[in-house]
Amino acid sequence: MAKTYIAGVGMTKVGRHYEKGFKELSLEAIDKALKHAGIGINEIDYLLVSSAFPELTLHQSDIATILAQELGIKVRALRVDAGEASGAAAVALGNDLIRLGRVRTVLVAGVEKMSEYPSAQANAAYSSILDYEYEGVRNVSLVNYAAMTLKNYMERYGVSREEVFKWAIKMHENALTNPYAYLSFKVSLKRMMDSQIMSDPITTYDAFPICDGAAALVMVEESVASTLDGKPVELLDYEAINSEPPYLRGELTELPATRKAFKKLSKRTGIVVDEETAIQVHDSFSIYGLLALEALGLAGKGKALEALDNMPYLNHGGGLKARGHPVGATPLYGLAELTLLMQNSYPGLNYSRDISLLHTMSGHDNSSWLIVLRR
Amino acid sequence: MLKNSISIFWRKRSNYYRIKLTKCRKCGRISYPARERCPYCGSNDVEHIDSSGHGKILNYTVSYYRREGDAENMPRIVALVRLDEGVVIPAEIVDSSPEEIKEGMEVEAVLRRLNSDDPYGLIYYGLKFTPVLNK
Repeated sequence: MAKTYIAGVGMTKVGRHYEKGFKELSLEAIDKALKHAGIGINEIDYLLVSSAFPELTLHQSDIATILAQELGIKVRALRVDAGEASGAAAVALGNDLIRLGRVRTVLVAGVEKMSEYPSAQANAAYSSILDYEYEGVRNVSLVNYAAMTLKNYMERYGVSREEVFKWAIKMHENALTNPYAYLSFKVSLKRMMDSQIMSDPITTYDAFPICDGAAALVMVEESVASTLDGKPVELLDYEAINSEPPYLRGELTELPATRKAFKKLSKRTGIVVDEETAIQVHDSFSIYGLLALEALGLAGKGKALEALDNMPYLNHGGGLKARGHPVGATPLYGLAELTLLMQNSYPGLNYSRDISLLHTMSGHDNSSWLIVLRR
Repeated sequence: MLKNSISIFWRKRSNYYRIKLTKCRKCGRISYPARERCPYCGSNDVEHIDSSGHGKILNYTVSYYRREGDAENMPRIVALVRLDEGVVIPAEIVDSSPEEIKEGMEVEAVLRRLNSDDPYGLIYYGLKFTPVLNK
């Protein structure tokens, strides 16, 4: 079976882009990715667009066809939606199409515009990743689950409110060297302790910021990769699985889908990850970043905060917390940051391991996706 | 952002105006709400049972997170309630200030306004929970 490579990546700076729409942002990321890959747009066989809320925030369905029209290309174009994991799902699908020999080059573009409306409307759109009929209508949002989870975690493992901000502090520090990060500034612990409560005990410094962004990947088959001048990174494998809704699980402080997906993936590929492996975890809320490390076996239960100090390549771009979380694009940002790291072209970091891992999930581990890169 | 729909809400009225549970005849587990498949094992050999609407607060959070249409009743108290049938349900707690709420507190279902489009729009009603005071 053919192997899949990531030949090029492109990102736009995450932020509130009032002067740019989804087309402008996407085109910017796509042009960068094509240039990085050394491939022309007319060599693309398939356009996959990951976006979670275009109908709600942009009045736009069939965003892939609209984007193909904007690009002036005639290709197979498809939008992929898997909530917050949309970008990973699009990459996984592109990988399958290449491996099956259906296509040789796939352009994956992820885009989200969350700042077109006041926060309450962005929050309503984001809350739609939960089950509207049973959770949404009852006024339950993801931050509420995250809050109850953090509460349980702090009580059970004797972790203080102050200690949990260690995650955000590390993410803000990591974002300092990421030219595409939204919140690339240091934040004092005092400012965090005084920050606004979103859902007690979660404050704004435990949560991702509302933002816009677009990121793109050019994925190619092995025979194409071998003709390129750059240093394509192999997409070794991926795995994904879903869980019951959080209220049916009995335990909030575990991410069962992440754990199961990783078990399957590591059994199949034989990969081993440790604290020095480059890993991107889904920290929409800091507590989820901590639980992801525990589900991936990188820290014992209740011990993730202690493990942070020894993880130089964890969310090196600042994670969802500080790089930002333009939802449909987020996993592509993570993969782009990992690709650059593995090509040794990420500013300020040298990485020598053969593999890196992306974790992303939608909601409270409602679905979890893992993608392994290898050089 | 789309507004509330009459049909989306109406067809689920048995879940909104009462608390219906799914009991699986295959794996034996009970879950909320009434579904056609067991969310644990996927079996369609299920029956629907009524909950007493009585339970205890298992976990809760005081939420200032505002979604469109949430202008009233802020902050909200969002909880996980363990019903007497042993099933956990996500629910809003009303008629109490945050300081009065405690884990383990007995609560019961009451019919309340869930949300509305705007001051002149469609209103959804459904069950929330209130502390049981006069025991």
